[in-house]
Amino acid sequence: MKRLNLSHLVLHVLLLVVGVAMITPFIWMVATSLKAPAEILQATPTFWPKAWRWENYPEVFRLVPFGQFYFNTVLVTVARVVGQVLLSSMAAYAFARLRFPGRDVLFLLVLAVLMMPSQVTLVPNYVLLKYLGWLDSYEGLIIPSLFSAFGTFLLRQFFLTIPQELEDAAVLDGCNPLQVYWHVAMPLARSALLAFGVLVTLWSWNDFLWPLIITNSTSMQMLSVGINYFQGQFTTNFAVMMAAATVATLPMLILFVLVQRQLIEGITLSGLKL
Amino acid sequence: MNSRRNALVTREALWGYAMVAPMVIGLGIFFYLSMGASFFIGFTKWDVLTPPQWIGLDNYVRLFRTPLFLRTLWNTTRYTLLTVPLGSAVSLGLALALNTQIRFRSFYRLVYFLPVLTMPVAIAIVWKWIYNPDFGLLNQFLGPFGAGRIRWLSDIHYAMPSLVIMSIWMGSGYGMVIYLAGLQNIPRAYYEAAQVDGANSWEQLINITLPLLTPTIFFSLVTSLISAFQVFDIVYVMTKGGPLDSTRTIVYTIYDEAFHFFRMGSATATAWALFIIILVITIIQLRTQKLWVHYT
Repeated sequence: MKRLNLSHLVLHVLLLVVGVAMITPFIWMVATSLKAPAEILQATPTFWPKAWRWENYPEVFRLVPFGQFYFNTVLVTVARVVGQVLLSSMAAYAFARLRFPGRDVLFLLVLAVLMMPSQVTLVPNYVLLKYLGWLDSYEGLIIPSLFSAFGTFLLRQFFLTIPQELEDAAVLDGCNPLQVYWHVAMPLARSALLAFGVLVTLWSWNDFLWPLIITNSTSMQMLSVGINYFQGQFTTNFAVMMAAATVATLPMLILFVLVQRQLIEGITLSGLKL
Repeated sequence: MNSRRNALVTREALWGYAMVAPMVIGLGIFFYLSMGASFFIGFTKWDVLTPPQWIGLDNYVRLFRTPLFLRTLWNTTRYTLLTVPLGSAVSLGLALALNTQIRFRSFYRLVYFLPVLTMPVAIAIVWKWIYNPDFGLLNQFLGPFGAGRIRWLSDIHYAMPSLVIMSIWMGSGYGMVIYLAGLQNIPRAYYEAAQVDGANSWEQLINITLPLLTPTIFFSLVTSLISAFQVFDIVYVMTKGGPLDSTRTIVYTIYDEAFHFFRMGSATATAWALFIIILVITIIQLRTQKLWVHYT
């Protein structure tokens, strides 16, 4: 028993050291965000701010239209999540339960999408958006990102695991497949839908390359692109930069604390990518 | 009866087509159509403003004759060879430590997972500040150990390792979650049998845990290699490929060619080269897995 406690003690020390390494960048980010510019650039640097300067936070929204970036990010993320969850689950249900000629070929074509790095379609999709007049618009940010092969695959696998009796009963009651999908299968798949929804929220919030290439006006930027405005123009004001980084990352950290279990389930379930 | 049955089947088929249609059409346009177009664009010289010129295989031939592309390829490979093994080792170590009866497990797991959730761009800005040679945290911390003023991101010897350290910090919590799931799937009965036979915990690790975890390790290596080859966000924010192209990666080159120089053909050819590289590496991994992966 004594030996066990000793090994646990050693383990705790190791885990704590790693934990400190993991958490320090966040603390440093927040600590810097509350410092006065003079304190940041002094010869003997401090870790904790001497005086907490909360004014750096309003400054983030004053120097650049950070509120607008925020609004864009929330709007695009909500639209992508709702769209991906609905379209993927609907297709997934049909692939899992309905019989129609060509179903398996179509499903394989959906799966094949997962194997291709997205950079291959980057240029043509950019050109397509240019012809559609969707560059620098919400349509461009949202519509090409509504179709998730990953979600279709993930949710199909999940629908296959739920027992079919309830659905059969609904069919006997005269429901059509769309009604069965919506009223019976969807409520049963709640946990998988939530897990997928959380993953899509995270990807969309943090998405960078796509908004970087298709937007250019300041008012259309998402946070991930807009936050770079602080680099260069305001290079010396590290405090405001760190305040911006804090404001941009906070929602996902809070979301995680709220839905920790679902997110980890989602990753485990899919295991595919993040 | 038969015709009614047929009518039912046809109706079911119609519902099926209707329900998969939005997804199939969407992927058809933004993936398959786009991929077809990409194939052709790779054989052209095109700046999007003037009509494309057909130049055959020139883009591809030039890729392998350009020292910069070979440099890019080497940088990406180096980044991958550093992050994937080191990151996997950290992830696996953390998962093994948390797969015990130790207290505060869920607290540790939460802390290790936080970096995974942060916006890469935002946290890269934070790391840039940590790496700042004059006021950054890292040099302050290393100062007492006599490290001197290291220019992490602007010294060609340190820039790539700096990116690697940051991305291991950012990604190891993700691998940890995957490994934990794998560990929890190992039946307890194996350990009980081993204990009866008098195996100590080290022997149990070597003879039970690691062999039975190989499918998870394999899966994790395949996916993390693929994403390491596609690294972009942190390069864009922290180094822009510099200093002296020492951190220029394949995807950064694709971005640069297409959206700074408007060389769409060359960018697309580079993207196809990336696809081929990823494909070959994945096939090699799949072929060699039977040498070391144990499926029960």
